[in-house]
Amino acid sequence: MFKTIFQPTALSACIGCLLMPVMVHAETTPGWEFGAVLDVANTSKELELGARGKDLQLGHSDLVARGALGSALNAEISAAVHTRDGDVETHLENAWVETKTLPAGLQARVGRFSSQIGYLNEQHPHADDFSERPLLYRGFLGGHWYDDGLRLNWTAPTPFYLRLGVETFMGEQLIKEAETKKSPGAYTFSMKTGADLNPSNSWQLGLSYLNNRRQAHAHEHDGAEEEHDHAHGAQFSGQHLYMTDLVYKWAPDGNPKSNQVKLFWENARITGIHPELTSQRHTASSLGAVWRFHPAWELGLRSDELAVNKPEEHDDGIEAATARLRETTLMLAYKPSHSQTYRIQFSRQSSAGEAASEVFAHTASNVVQLQWVIGFGAHGAHSF
Amino acid sequence: MRTVFKFAVCSGLLLAGHLVQAFTVFACEPEWGALTKALYPKAEVFAATNHLQDPHHVEARPSLIAKLRQADLAVCTGAGLESGWLPVLQARAGNPKVQDGQPTMFYASKFVTLINPYAGAITPFSGDVHPEGNPHLHTDPKRLLQVAAPLHERLIQLHPQDGKQIADNYKAFEQAMQAGIVRWEKQAQHLQGRTVVTQHSSFGYLWQWLGIQMGADLEPKPGMAPTPVHLERIRKQIQQPQPFAIVIAQHHDKRPAQWLSRQDSAQGIPMLVLPATVTNMSGTALIDWFDQLFSTLSQRPD
Repeated sequence: MFKTIFQPTALSACIGCLLMPVMVHAETTPGWEFGAVLDVANTSKELELGARGKDLQLGHSDLVARGALGSALNAEISAAVHTRDGDVETHLENAWVETKTLPAGLQARVGRFSSQIGYLNEQHPHADDFSERPLLYRGFLGGHWYDDGLRLNWTAPTPFYLRLGVETFMGEQLIKEAETKKSPGAYTFSMKTGADLNPSNSWQLGLSYLNNRRQAHAHEHDGAEEEHDHAHGAQFSGQHLYMTDLVYKWAPDGNPKSNQVKLFWENARITGIHPELTSQRHTASSLGAVWRFHPAWELGLRSDELAVNKPEEHDDGIEAATARLRETTLMLAYKPSHSQTYRIQFSRQSSAGEAASEVFAHTASNVVQLQWVIGFGAHGAHSF
Repeated sequence: MRTVFKFAVCSGLLLAGHLVQAFTVFACEPEWGALTKALYPKAEVFAATNHLQDPHHVEARPSLIAKLRQADLAVCTGAGLESGWLPVLQARAGNPKVQDGQPTMFYASKFVTLINPYAGAITPFSGDVHPEGNPHLHTDPKRLLQVAAPLHERLIQLHPQDGKQIADNYKAFEQAMQAGIVRWEKQAQHLQGRTVVTQHSSFGYLWQWLGIQMGADLEPKPGMAPTPVHLERIRKQIQQPQPFAIVIAQHHDKRPAQWLSRQDSAQGIPMLVLPATVTNMSGTALIDWFDQLFSTLSQRPD
């Protein structure tokens, strides 16, 4: 079976079509990069909210082209593919153009792209340190949230890094089927700041807010409609999402090639989860560390927590199904070169709360994942 | 949340008002910072990397974005050396001056012929190969002069009022470098035709200039960390022909070279740890650095 979730909206389709002839032309002009990433993983058991199906599956693999459009614009287009239970799914993930010559530290981007809320969301998933994203992302943002929209950023002329940004999105990739359809469906405000303490120690702090104007359907209690639907888009949503992210990196003399410690913490809170559930909220946090102890080896540990109040339709109105999910992940990665990663990962989940067995019915106790990521062509630069 | 944003905007604007208007240069590597300083001492120079860091592999840190945001001129190597981090800085800095194609985005590799361009098909197993050629071009003083010429012209274009001074500084730098070349070639004469065991092609131009043969490379593939299997292979063959030294850069992991130099087969072969670039950014830093390299290289153990 071949299922295509290639649903370009008018905007991204339009940008995609505009970029195609440019890309063909770009192949002969310098500065354009083309790359592909293949991500294959074998999973012993599906994780609750996991992105990877059981046994051998194609993970988030993509084809990407990026480069300059004249002297004033940069552009990127990418398509991703993955498999799940025998289905092959493809997505148009990026199709955007961005200014690079606006004055006063301003930058604008239009098209389809990943929102810059949180730490991980705007990073390419194949560069992740773990083979599954934190519960926070899997529960609240559909793994990683890209959408059709517009972005305006300002980088301050300060001695430390400060970026303020606002985005507006259609919101259809976040809430696939909404009860209330407003346009635009979502907007975000975000702030990123960071600096070096000394050559060896650096940090980055982000604060972001997402206003989601698309209200998801309440699930029918005992409804059989979702057979562990790993739907892209948020599993748990609300009107307001607040996120804080902190990243700290240490490397001797700032030379991370053979020794580096990275600590990260992300926290999210969702309020306004349903008009009839005004006091309830969803929360999630992720705390982890990755240690590169050899140029080719990395060891990582991550602890995730997700606490939700899932709105459910009962005969006498909307009620919250309360549940908590915990996940601990340990990974060891071997990276013989920049283009390859072999990873073994152990995850353990546990759930609690009165509705745990229903909301997190697939809680998995011991999961082993073997992952192989290989990149062809340009793999692009990585952000902090 | 709103208060936080208001606070951030206000503090940002306040700080922006306090900035001094100096000509700010962002050098991707300190050799270009030192060269800029030699040509135009008035410039305020910041280097994104230092001699203890591998310029291929630094993080695109927030502090570097902030520095690039404020730059009036960026001087980098190009040829793929900074491809792991510079594009992120450029994309996030929001600074039109440092975008590719602008006269204030200066790539040194555009003005010289690079050695050893990788001609094979690039696969995920090739390592960090550069089809453009070896980017560590600053270890050849002649190529440094080929970069200094267009850089001083660019600086004169940007600061015509200081044109005379920049032209004079360039002449002085050229003379000092030419005198240095004569001195250094003499110092290393006895090494001509000898072999060196290295790690990475960090000093590739230096060896070529001095007529030194590159023997084994501790890296099994460019950019790949030395592996036990590969080191064992080198251990067996290290004496054919006998290298004058095992040379690694200060930013390399010292353990593989140390292991090799302690082996019986490597007896009598000294291990030299050299800074792969200048250790400060004064106007004389490049000359001082070459002097330091040659005094270390010409030390004869016997």
